[in-house]
Amino acid sequence: MIPGKYRSVSGRAANNVNCGLHLVIQTSPLPEKNKVEFKLNKDTSSFPGRLLQHDLERNYSSRQGDHINLVSSSLSSFPILQRSSEEKILYSDRLSLERQKLTVCPIINGEDHLRLLNFQHNFITRIQNISNLQKLISLDLYDNQIEEISGLSTLRCLRVLLLGKNRIKKISNLENLKSLDVLDLHGNQITKIENINHLCELRVLNLARNFLSHVDNLNGLDSLTELNLRHNQITFVRDVDNLPCLQHLFLSFNNISSFDSVSCLADSSSLSDITFDGNPIAQESWYKHTVLQNMMQLRQLDMKRITEEERRMASVLAKKEEEKKRESHKQSLLKEKKRLTINNVARQWDLQQQRVANIATNEDRKDSDSPQDPCQIDGSTLSAFPEETGPLDSGLNNALQGLSVVDTYLVEVDGDTLSLYGSGALESLDRNWSVQTAGMITTVSFTFIEFDEIVQVLPKLKIKFPNSLHLKFKETNLVMLQQFNALAQLRRIDQLTIDPQGNPVVNFTLWKYYVLFRLSHFSMQKINGTEVTQNDMIMAERLFGILAHVASSELPQYRLISILGDARKKQFRYLLESKGKKPGIINEENNDSKRLVGENTNRATLNYTTRDFYNEKLEEIKEKKKFCKTYIEDLVKEATEINMKNEALQKLWPQMFIELVRDAVIEIRNKNSYMKLCLQQITDQK
Amino acid sequence: MLSPERLALPDYEYLAQRHVLTYMEDAVCQLLENREDISQYGIARFFTEYFNSVCQGTHILFREFSFVQATPHNRVSFLRAFWRCFRTVGKNGDLLTMKEYHCLLQLLCPDFPLELTQKAARIVLMDDAMDCLMSFSDFLFAFQIQFYYSEFLDSVAAIYENLLSGKNPNTVIVPTSSSGQHRQRPALGEAGMLEGVEASLFYQCLENLCDRHKYSCPPPALVKEALSNVQRLTFYGFLMALSKHHGINQALGALPDKGDLMHDPAMDEELERLVVRSKLHRTSRPHRAKEPGAFGFQRREKQEALERVSSASVPTPYHYRWEPRE
Repeated sequence: MIPGKYRSVSGRAANNVNCGLHLVIQTSPLPEKNKVEFKLNKDTSSFPGRLLQHDLERNYSSRQGDHINLVSSSLSSFPILQRSSEEKILYSDRLSLERQKLTVCPIINGEDHLRLLNFQHNFITRIQNISNLQKLISLDLYDNQIEEISGLSTLRCLRVLLLGKNRIKKISNLENLKSLDVLDLHGNQITKIENINHLCELRVLNLARNFLSHVDNLNGLDSLTELNLRHNQITFVRDVDNLPCLQHLFLSFNNISSFDSVSCLADSSSLSDITFDGNPIAQESWYKHTVLQNMMQLRQLDMKRITEEERRMASVLAKKEEEKKRESHKQSLLKEKKRLTINNVARQWDLQQQRVANIATNEDRKDSDSPQDPCQIDGSTLSAFPEETGPLDSGLNNALQGLSVVDTYLVEVDGDTLSLYGSGALESLDRNWSVQTAGMITTVSFTFIEFDEIVQVLPKLKIKFPNSLHLKFKETNLVMLQQFNALAQLRRIDQLTIDPQGNPVVNFTLWKYYVLFRLSHFSMQKINGTEVTQNDMIMAERLFGILAHVASSELPQYRLISILGDARKKQFRYLLESKGKKPGIINEENNDSKRLVGENTNRATLNYTTRDFYNEKLEEIKEKKKFCKTYIEDLVKEATEINMKNEALQKLWPQMFIELVRDAVIEIRNKNSYMKLCLQQITDQK
Repeated sequence: MLSPERLALPDYEYLAQRHVLTYMEDAVCQLLENREDISQYGIARFFTEYFNSVCQGTHILFREFSFVQATPHNRVSFLRAFWRCFRTVGKNGDLLTMKEYHCLLQLLCPDFPLELTQKAARIVLMDDAMDCLMSFSDFLFAFQIQFYYSEFLDSVAAIYENLLSGKNPNTVIVPTSSSGQHRQRPALGEAGMLEGVEASLFYQCLENLCDRHKYSCPPPALVKEALSNVQRLTFYGFLMALSKHHGINQALGALPDKGDLMHDPAMDEELERLVVRSKLHRTSRPHRAKEPGAFGFQRREKQEALERVSSASVPTPYHYRWEPRE
């Protein structure tokens, strides 16, 4: 029986008609050994112009049993087939030897005009003894034990070759079968498609249930309309776009996992029916719409018609995929750019630190070493960096070389984290941040920025990002405990992370306690990831409590006021500068000062002024000092003069007093003349 | 007050000896700087407060280094303030590095130079491994010597240098600020078989120095005492001996004896009060209450206790009456 797979769909237009034979064979019970009864339906359909239809449902009323003898010849090992002459005349073009328990092909004599030969369901191992049947059109060797295709070289008319369910390992020896229309090699052990490129009339090729791992080498099959590759191990498909007539492609139960491996299908304009079920690709979420999107010409997928609705959905989804891919590509580009910028900022930072270190060491060596050394140091540090850029550059791919690596800072907002790299990033705090974005930020991270510069923007931070609770510092040159005083002006800090890298202050034993002490009004919960315990707070208080007490209660009143006033004045100044003199500012300032009272005022005097500011202030004071000096000197001069005069008076006074007394006594000595003198003085006065 | 010696001095000299002008100038300068704030409550009160604080030794808090260094009294006040503020660190037993001590110094005086701290550390560590840990008392006493007598020590270094290289000790030496200490290191290495210099010769030079120069030196008698039991000494050995000498410490009058260094009952009391207050402050925040039961129960009682204490004793701001020194 011819397998039902070869029914061509009715209603199709006839094209490339090869053969007009009806091959319908009904099985009949085997009467005895070596006796074959053939019941063939003699269909009077004409030879040319008819499709090959394998219609199993036809009933055959007429049964003619004639006996055929298989006589084993004494001469050769092959049995010789003999048919009765009536049979020969009745079924002159067809011979069926199915289920005859044949192990070899028998010699068929005198049947050279045979057109259909059926050897189904036997045990034949080699195709032999049919070279004389040069008019053969259809040869059926389904279900045998054939290991090699051979012995077909004379069958130039062969149109249908059925070799399913055998043990064939290789497609070969089909060179002369140029008229082949149907080639069935299903159920064999074929691993490679080859030696079929000359079969330009082949319409149906069945390679199901073989061991194929890939599909290629299909060029030349210009008539192929149906290609069955079910149940193989195919991972990729090629050359299908070289098949101009291919309409049906069955790839069910293979190992295809991505559409790229079958991308040639998209280029095949003739394909209208395809199956992928049983492949890994069919389990993917994007399977259906990707296939539909890439193969607009399809009408049927996995044996189901494709509706307009499905096609529409497919294009929508495919567009979404495209979007997503574009987005992720953009994201990865951005990430790369970010990484480069951060590297650049790091490099700048290192250079800057080296420069500062060089200046410091140069100052130390001023009197002893030669001036050559600083140049050498600079040279050595600079030479270190070109090596660094080497691997960086090689890491760029073409698309990124266009990005400028000149950026010297980076500002990044990632959900609730604001990250600033490089001192240029601090200016970004001036930007108009939307209330929503700014409100979401809870963590602010500073990297590669001098802490002194950060201190100056802390008021801005307080105002623009009111919900920032967690501050992170890395490579910010935190060297003194004093610098933490600057953080007290913020509204609230719940967590503080000081990365040891670039922050020498972390090496101090007491730094955490100092932070807890100075910023006790924040009731911080975590420092560098570790929870703050009650004991920590108490220890901090114990260690530095006296400092606070001294700083508040023992300072004279005017100092307290001046120190506190300074701090507030600075903040107020910033507000005026940034927003202009709006009436609303005054209220804010009042609120701030009220909140300051909430802070432990006994430590409010512990402030931090950056070195530059401090030196500036000292410079300013110099003038005043000079004035004071001269003023005091003047006062001293006056005082000493007076003192001198006083002393002189002290010295001279006794003498003067005696003289005064003597003069007075001398005057009053003569009473009468004194009375006269006085009276005269009175009259003179008038 | 009106002692005859005082009246015997001519004006300027008297003023200079007492550094009166320094304080006057500083007072007027402060007045100028904080004009607006001070004008609120009167100049007379300002001057009262200023000189009170000078007497109590709190005037140097958070002032610039040039002022802190200006007079011996300032230096003593600063040492004292440092001791009082950071005694608790010492009491806690932490050993700190030179940099950390410098940080603590900077908390009280923002532009305190690193050089001085380094020199002080060298005394403790005998010029060895500068990033070693030091105890609070060791550092404090060494720092006292270094800071209070810095000019004197510079001269001594120069003298030592000369003695080592065998120059005539009686020649006039004019020390420069940096040269003394820098040449120190190679010199110690060159000492060779006999380390340092002979003690008696060294003392003679020192005596000359003390007589000649006007800046403060340790009392010669005490210095002699310190040198009495050694034949030879190195520069840092000498400094170490100075710093450990009780008599010199007492003569300075800034710090208590080594044994009492961690004692300050008044401050401890104050500290306890602060700690208790901070505990209350913390537990009053609802999200931090770790043991709501325990603290919440006791809270009221403690608050009452606190009120009672604060009304009962009026804490005197400065227990140690600072006596003016000759």
